[in-house]
Amino acid sequence: MTLRFDRRQFLMGSSALAAAIAAGVNPAWAQNALRLIFWGGQARADRTNGVIDLFEGAGNPGVESEFLSWNDYWPKLATQVAGGTAPDVIQMDYRFIVEYATRNAIAPLDDLVGDVLKLDDFDADQLEGGKVDGKLYGISLGANSVAMLVNKTAFEEAGIAVPDMSWTYETLKEIGEGFKAANIRGGMRGMSDGSGSEPMLDNWIRQRGKPLYTPEGKLGPSVEDMVEWFTMWNEMRDAGYITDAETTALDTGAPEVSMVALNKAAMIPSNSNQLVIHQSINPDVLTINSYPRIAPGVGGGHYRKPSMFFSVAGSSADKAAAAAFINFCITDPEAGKVLGVERGIPCSAAVRDAIAPTLDEQSQIALNFVANLGDLLGPLPSSPPNAAGEIDTSLLRVLSQEVAFGGRSAQDAGEFFVFEAEAILDRAAS
Amino acid sequence: MTTDAQGLTVVTGAESDPARRRRKRFLGIGAHVLLIAASIVMLYPLLWLLSASLKPQDQIFTSGIWPTLDWSIDSYFRGWNGLRTSFSVFFMNSFVIAALSVVGNLIACSMAAYAFARLRFKGRNFWFAMMLMTLMLPGQVTLIPQYVLFRDLGWINTVLPLVVPKFLAVDAFFIFLMVQFFRGIPRELDEAAMMDGCSAWRIFYKIMLPLSMPVLVTVAIFTFIWTWDDFFAPLIYLNRMQDYTVMLGLRTFVDSTGESDYGGLFAMSVLSIVPIFLFFLFFQRLLIEGIATTGMKR
Amino acid sequence: MAVRGMEAASQGVATGNSIWSRAWQNHAPGYLFLLPWFIGFFGLTVGPIITSFYLSFTDFDLLTPAEWVGVDNYVRMFTNDRSFAASMRVTFFFVLFSVPLKLAFALGVAVLLNRGMKGLPLYRALFYLPSLLGASVAIAILWRQIFAADGLVNDVLAIFGIQGPSWISNPNYSLWTLIILSIWQFGSPMIIFLAGLRQIPQDMYEAASLDGASKWRQFVKITLPLLTPVVFFNAIIQTIEAFKSFTPAFIISGGTGAPINSTLFYTLYLYNEAFSFFRMGYASALAWFLLVLIACFTAFSFLTSKYWVHYDD
Repeated sequence: MTLRFDRRQFLMGSSALAAAIAAGVNPAWAQNALRLIFWGGQARADRTNGVIDLFEGAGNPGVESEFLSWNDYWPKLATQVAGGTAPDVIQMDYRFIVEYATRNAIAPLDDLVGDVLKLDDFDADQLEGGKVDGKLYGISLGANSVAMLVNKTAFEEAGIAVPDMSWTYETLKEIGEGFKAANIRGGMRGMSDGSGSEPMLDNWIRQRGKPLYTPEGKLGPSVEDMVEWFTMWNEMRDAGYITDAETTALDTGAPEVSMVALNKAAMIPSNSNQLVIHQSINPDVLTINSYPRIAPGVGGGHYRKPSMFFSVAGSSADKAAAAAFINFCITDPEAGKVLGVERGIPCSAAVRDAIAPTLDEQSQIALNFVANLGDLLGPLPSSPPNAAGEIDTSLLRVLSQEVAFGGRSAQDAGEFFVFEAEAILDRAAS
Repeated sequence: MTTDAQGLTVVTGAESDPARRRRKRFLGIGAHVLLIAASIVMLYPLLWLLSASLKPQDQIFTSGIWPTLDWSIDSYFRGWNGLRTSFSVFFMNSFVIAALSVVGNLIACSMAAYAFARLRFKGRNFWFAMMLMTLMLPGQVTLIPQYVLFRDLGWINTVLPLVVPKFLAVDAFFIFLMVQFFRGIPRELDEAAMMDGCSAWRIFYKIMLPLSMPVLVTVAIFTFIWTWDDFFAPLIYLNRMQDYTVMLGLRTFVDSTGESDYGGLFAMSVLSIVPIFLFFLFFQRLLIEGIATTGMKR
Repeated sequence: MAVRGMEAASQGVATGNSIWSRAWQNHAPGYLFLLPWFIGFFGLTVGPIITSFYLSFTDFDLLTPAEWVGVDNYVRMFTNDRSFAASMRVTFFFVLFSVPLKLAFALGVAVLLNRGMKGLPLYRALFYLPSLLGASVAIAILWRQIFAADGLVNDVLAIFGIQGPSWISNPNYSLWTLIILSIWQFGSPMIIFLAGLRQIPQDMYEAASLDGASKWRQFVKITLPLLTPVVFFNAIIQTIEAFKSFTPAFIISGGTGAPINSTLFYTLYLYNEAFSFFRMGYASALAWFLLVLIACFTAFSFLTSKYWVHYDD
């Protein structure tokens, strides 16, 4: 049978191939290069590789970089840390820095400040943001702030004025009324449903004088607060000012399914550095504004959040070299120009000045926005407790959906939120 | 008896009856209509994919299924070289891993299946149950221990963790599949061969394998396609971009926290289907060959 | 040389006539053929499995060493975990509906295609095409385009005057979109059925026709019985895979199981516990519970299979 003869040859050939590949095994960490891992798309990778080229060109050791999308990044990083093969420089997020720091997966950098890490003109609040229990674990790569993404073209179409930074939740209701009456684009609403948005809740509760999480890691809002929160959004939903339950549930977190991208709402809660992203998939003109005030003149809800950090792995063989690379990224003006504001507004004043003339329009808008928050700025909150991520994704969001679909009353949701959040916090603390 | 277009023998004993013939043709047309309608339903998502790959980025989500007037194949070029490493590298990597996996599975799983299906040895049922058990545990929880194991072997950052297990019959799915097929082959053949003095090996090589062409082809097709489509194992074990596979490359196109290149994603997704589709087309012809009837008289 | 050894062993060439050598001769071929599997099992598989079992009794956050907590994980699972109950409901519902429907489509289309009609290879490839898309990120986007409030399905329904909900984002219907996704990818069991159908010797049909049996009778008396090993295989495998189903829910709900946990498949829940909330110990307990569940189901299936599965040996 002819097939048998071919199979034998194929077998021999492929065994040889396998042997060749095995012989070519050359583990990456046998060399002296630094390893870097970060999340992002090709745009960020291009910029990062540009900085690496500059770094290596200045006579420094090589850097091997690897990047993944956000969803893939965390399981891979966790696997590498568990297996002891984590890269030297790790991009870290505000949400997880406490988890990684308290478990020594990333190293404290205080000893390296001064000689390797030159942080003299670094924004103080950004520096604080990278500290856990008083020690510095991450260097902020840029500041951003929460911002309302606004579809200017849609506002013009509906004949409603785009709000400015003085707007309040009352203004929001008026805008909602306006869009409902205008009925453009198949029933576009004023805004998406913000009841499940942790940043909005955080901003709202801070304006009322409480933090979302106390410095001791306890829950800030009370049952009354939460009931009021859910009730407020219920009223807006029932009145047709915000997107309804089914429509809101289409948003699974990716930019292409945001309410603005799907033309269901004219505004969505977002971040200052995401204007560029949303604009790239939308033919309309977008801009950003602040989150609404709870009443005229009340501020203090916003803060400049470190968008992401570079940290050094606890298992890194050469922490000083890793820190030197980080230092280059945040203090070198040429590196700053390459990175732009893609990761956030640079925290070094000198770098900010150097790059300002080179920014494109959306980046300029983001830069100006963060710089001019004025009385909207409040103090930086303490680092969120370990279970904050879980409370956000599996409690707040799920509850908000249950309420929106009518499965729970606002009263019930408010009580349950506090009860369950405290249980989650207790469990994580033990 | 007549032979139809496929070269298959078609039973035509009662074809002389015109009423029957008419009903047969009607059924034939009905079946075709049904199949065509079903095909459209099956294919709609893929047509959408194709059309989206031809649109400019900001129109992908806002316009309907049909390509717009300013359609272009820009996305294909951009996507191919969009990541610093060209997709040709990714395709090569995927192909090597998939091809090696096919070889490994064919050899190792057929051997194991033969043992379970035909040979008697102590503990056979116990080991069979163990083999099936490996199918039932969700992979997420053996991920870390396996990672540590491969790290100790020094295989991280190579394709070895992806390929070597195939040569060690780790895919219980295929063992089970082949066991079921081997058990469908009449034992009389084995017994006849044994009486002629054939060893187990010869029976395996000369009788079982040739008669199992349909299932072997099936194993080859599935192994190729599933290793091609797998992203989790390559994600965990490959660190350098030049080692990435196609599926891994596709996942870096879309990042929810940054700018994504959807046009490029769709274009490369379309291209990534091409090799596996071709593989399938080529090998499915072997599925047509039924069992040779010589020696099969009952 | 292993080959020659096996040949010698099974030919009973006198290598000594003691009980041991005879036992070796009888059992050797089995063990030798299983050798690769044994190496794989003991070298690569069993270690991680035992480790994961151990981990299920610990508190393991991936970043620091595991801490022993005894049966706490299991106790919590059954007494204090809303999401566990929710994910069990979702998963059972999914298995109950997707598996029979998928098998029915696969068998039906395979039988249809086995007739040897014109255009067979093309149809076969077309029906298999959806399964090639597998875990592609593009699937999530596609499915939304079809099942959202303004998607294709509702456009078609509108022709008949029905106004459909947003299937994919309504907790009452979202699971069905995933069931449909699973059924849409029926290509794999279909191919296996086709291979099984192909293995049935044609002369049996010839003989039956000569005896005057109708096509339907042939199907019931020849095809189905001879196909039972393959039906059994597909049923078991599809059920196991349905219980373990992860990727569709992962990519379509963005890993959240939204809306309101209506697509929180058991393994998705497990994955989040392990990698999003750093509770790998608890996730291991969840995994082992699933394994026990599936094992019971499979054992039951094997035990009852002797009543309806018809092997030729």
